[in-house]
This record gives sequence, C-alpha cells and structure tokens, in this order.
Amino acid sequence: MSGSARSLAKGSAPPGPVPEGLIRVYSMRFCPYAQRTLLVLTAKGIRHEIININLKSKPEWFFKKNPFGLVPVLENSQGQLIYESAITCEYLDDVYPGKKLLPDDPYEKARQKMVFELFSKVPSLVTSLLRKQNEEDCSGQKEELRKEISKLEEVLTNKKTTFFGGNSLSMIDYLIWPWFERMEILELNDCVDHTPKLQLWMAAMRKDPAVSALLMEPKALRGFLNLYLQNSPEACDYGL
Amino acid sequence: MEDATRSFGKGSLPPGPVPDGLIRVYSMRFCPYAHRTRLVLRAKGIRHEVVNINLRNKPEWYYTKHPFGQIPVLENSKCQLIYESVIACEYLDDAYPGRKLYPYDPYERARQKMLLELFYKVPHLTKECLVALRCGRECADLKLALRQEFCNLEEILGYQNTIFFGGDCISMIDYLFWPWFERLDVYGIADCLNHTPALRLWTAAMKQDPTVCALLIDKNIFLGFLNLYFQNNPDAFDYGLAC
Repeated sequence: MSGSARSLAKGSAPPGPVPEGLIRVYSMRFCPYAQRTLLVLTAKGIRHEIININLKSKPEWFFKKNPFGLVPVLENSQGQLIYESAITCEYLDDVYPGKKLLPDDPYEKARQKMVFELFSKVPSLVTSLLRKQNEEDCSGQKEELRKEISKLEEVLTNKKTTFFGGNSLSMIDYLIWPWFERMEILELNDCVDHTPKLQLWMAAMRKDPAVSALLMEPKALRGFLNLYLQNSPEACDYGL
Repeated sequence: MEDATRSFGKGSLPPGPVPDGLIRVYSMRFCPYAHRTRLVLRAKGIRHEVVNINLRNKPEWYYTKHPFGQIPVLENSKCQLIYESVIACEYLDDAYPGRKLYPYDPYERARQKMLLELFYKVPHLTKECLVALRCGRECADLKLALRQEFCNLEEILGYQNTIFFGGDCISMIDYLFWPWFERLDVYGIADCLNHTPALRLWTAAMKQDPTVCALLIDKNIFLGFLNLYFQNNPDAFDYGLAC
C-alpha cells in the first residue's frame, strides 16, 4: 500500500485498468475526505492501490472518473466508479468481508447517520479557519465550531460510551476523525478544550491501528497547507 | 388518506406511546420531505399512523422528538426516533421485510446515493421559485438554474436509457426525487420541464405508480394551503380537512 507516490497532474497519461483482486482509490495525501476511505480500506484489510491526484493541476482524464473532479474515488476491476467519501466508505463495508464497520441493526445504523448529520457543519468551519490562520478575526468562526463540537460532546455524554457507535470503534468514528486530527495539528485545540469526552475519544482513536497507520506528519501537513493556500502545484507532493 | 388528520399545535397534549406493530411518522400533509417517508411507508405496505404537526405553531412536546422541531420523524414502539428524511427512508427499507426499494447490489446502491447528490440543489431552487412567484417577484434566474439541474438529471436518464432512475422499475431514488416534481405544477413552474423529454416521460411513468397515485395531493387543496401559508395563517396546515 503506497500512499507516498507522486501525484498525477495535467498532461499525465491515464492509469490502466485496475487489476483483479485489487481496488483502486484516487486520493491525495492530505485530503481529509480521502482519509476516510483510506481508514476504511486499512481497518478492513482491503487490498488496494492508491493513485494520488494533483488537485491544483488535475489531469483531464480524472474528470472521467468523477465528473466533479474530486477525491476520493474508488475504481474496481470491473471499471465501476464510486465517489463521495461517505458513499465510498459504505460501499467498501457492504462489499468486503471481515469486520463490519456499520451496525447490522437498522436503528443503530440510522443513529450513526444522524450523528454524521450533526457533524456536517464541522468540515467547512475547520477549512475556513485553516485558511484564516494568519488573520486575527477567527473568533466568530471558532465560536461556531465550538458550538458544533458541543453537539458531538452531548452525544457521547448521553450514550455513555467511548466511541460514537458504542464501546468499540465503528464507521462514524472513522468518518469524523480526519478533522479532529487536523484540529490538533493546526492548533485549533482550544475548540475542544470544553469537551472532556471528546478529548478522551481522540486519545482512544489514536490507539486504533488504522488511525495510527495513517497519522500525518505535522510538519508535512503544515508544509502542504502553506503551499496549497498559495495554489502551488507542488503542494500535493510536499515532503516527497 | 391516512394523513387526513388535524395537526397538533402549541398547547396540544402529546400523543401516547406508539402501539406495538405500528410505526408513527410525524409529518405535515404538504411537506415534500415528509412526503418521501410516506411514499416509502406506502410502497412497502408498512402499517403506520401519521401525526401531523402545525409547523407555524409547534407543540412544545415536539422538541422532544426532534431537537429543532423538524419533520419528518419516525417513532417506533420501542420509542426509537429516526430523522432526516433520507435516513428515515433507508431505515424503513432496512427494518421492514417485503419489497426492497434500494437495490441489493452494493454498487447499484452506491449509484443511487450518488444520484441523490446530483439532486441536492433542486429542493432549495423550487422553494425559492415558489416564494419569489408568491411574493410577486421575478424568478427567471432561479428557473434557469433549476432547468440546468433538470438537464443534469435528463443526461443521466439518456445515458442509462432507462425509464426510472434506478433502472426499468421504480425504486428508492425515484421516490426520493418525486415530491418536488409533483409540486412543479402547483408551484407554477411546470414549464421548467420543457426541454427535458426523458424527465417528462419519467414524471408520466411515476404518476402511473400505485404508491405515487395513492398519495397524490389534490391541486385545489394544495393551492388553498399555499394561499393560507403565504398569508401566515396557522390554519393553513389543516386546509381541506373535513371538520
């Protein structure tokens, strides 16, 4: 499983078909949405290959994989394409055997999706705070982020479990983890300083084999972000 | 119709627990999101009761069912609550036997969920058109944007060469789209389908579906509701019910 391959950019030749017995994920080393898919692939032990895409200089052929031109995208050996990170994660859980990440019980499965909805404003808030890192006026957005995060704290408080789906780690935990990892690295920690159960959850997540296998190097993330915010085509390959 | 009951407003007593063997949907007779859930309940032949909520005058107890007082919400006899219309529809398909509305094949299931993403601008745009027209404002730009969304859906039907969005039989994705298409006429924007023949064929095919038919809302009653709704009259939600 090579996640350190250089990204493919404009002018690159399209990759060939996916060999049998393998599934391909079009990804980008620092993308939180693609990280969801990689977490599920890793947690379920699914044999896969990674093709990183230069998001600042997208290959023309990539739009045939996903008309929206976004990562992650899954491609299997039958040439079937699946995109939207949450949809890719659910597809992998449905198709591949081994540990089921989504509960079998219809109500528990629905509960995970309701928690996912509760989380829905967090990605855009974190993104806009990351973009404003050097500006003074983040207080409004930080407040908003704290408010959204409080809703998640409430879920853990009511459930009285370590993880969002119960006492073991499951799909919902992997779906929300990438943004919490970034909050820590990019010093938005004060947004979780009033949420003790979430802090315990974050510590527990770090012990998970899939999470720890995919943890980003803080310096690499910062280096990437710096270049990405300047629209540099070198950003996606930072550190390689 | 099962949902032809007066809505619960502020000061009303909460309904009791849901009896065994039944599932309850908190709804409103003209809400497109709740309409999705009612379509699925009907299509799968699920025994259910409908509790209509007065959305302009919400009962205090309703916030114990949904933190923001939104509909639809499902409540079963184990007091479990499920909300967000798409989540509710999937829950019903998973929890109840019989006809499966989502495909069994994981890729086809994923395809339907990807199609749903393509639809996400439609509810907002149709609502904005309705509001603009009702307030006497121009909405040419909005209609153009809506037509563009319809073109994207038209392309899918053309590419697939099937009648319905999930293939040659009606399935979940069709029911999830339908409520907004049913409302185009009564909202006054049916001409947005002028350039999309496959989509028009689809709406005609949908109107032949027994489930869609059974829940079709009478145009005059809908207009009566809209008139009162836009006058901020809290009696709007019960318009057309026998006393």
